[in-house]
Amino acid sequence: MKDILRRHSVLKDEVVDIINKQVQMEAQSSAAYLAMAAWCDVRGYDNCAEFFFKQSDQEREHQMKFFKYLVDMECDAISPAVGESQHEFEKLRSVFEKALEMEIAVTDSIHDMVRLCRKVGDLATEEFLRWFVQEQIEEEYVSRRCLELFDVLGEDKIALGMIEERILDVKYDAAEG
Amino acid sequence: MSQVTSDSQQLLFETSHSSLHQCDELERYILQFKGDSIHFRACELITFKRKVQKIDLVKLLDSETPDVEIVHMPHCDRIFAFTIEDVLELKELFAGAFTMLELNSMIHRQLVRRPF
Ligand SMILES: [Fe+2]
Repeated sequence: MKDILRRHSVLKDEVVDIINKQVQMEAQSSAAYLAMAAWCDVRGYDNCAEFFFKQSDQEREHQMKFFKYLVDMECDAISPAVGESQHEFEKLRSVFEKALEMEIAVTDSIHDMVRLCRKVGDLATEEFLRWFVQEQIEEEYVSRRCLELFDVLGEDKIALGMIEERILDVKYDAAEG
Repeated sequence: MSQVTSDSQQLLFETSHSSLHQCDELERYILQFKGDSIHFRACELITFKRKVQKIDLVKLLDSETPDVEIVHMPHCDRIFAFTIEDVLELKELFAGAFTMLELNSMIHRQLVRRPF
């Protein structure tokens, strides 16, 4: 008997399910960043808004990376339903706190995926996830650095102005330089 | 139960009212269910199996909701209304058939595809 199944199904069901969940999570993050961008934009924090718009785009790219992986593997990719995002924040710092929280949740989720791949012996997906593991190190780093600006500069009007000035320069490679 | 007879068709698993065959020649799977015969490509079969597996039996037993599950099969554009018994039978069929398919994959991996 031919091994037709193997030719057409590369991923295990659990792996397909967890990737679909991640597609949803990335879509939700993208929407959440959009809400943060809007909050910043209407309050005149233009650079912070731009920062979050960029984050939103990035999350969308992550979503598509996972989605295309499923499609490429001939698996069912589910276009996600996205729920409500948080639109109200107490102050600028709260927005960045929320962003870091979100990134930590994504990191945990990616690590769970790697663990599942190891458990079921899916070496290919584990390899595919490597990029995301690295990406999350960077995302979390950037989020932390942003919050540190508040710690260092404070939160008065002048400080917020300085944060607004510097926010777009926060990058991961700053770690090496 | 088994009504499919051809050299290139192999029975994977059967239950009292259903069976699943693999046809090597067409590279299709054939589901016999309550007198119906439905052909599937591998990915269609996997999709259908996942749909059946995800049907929540407890919810189906809940008297508030109708105790049939509507399942659409886009590849043949048919809609089925499965009763609880149907769902149980299909779940059993797929559990058995996929165990056989995985076993077959293991044999291929260990013996057939191995060059030396
Ligand atoms: Fe992401």
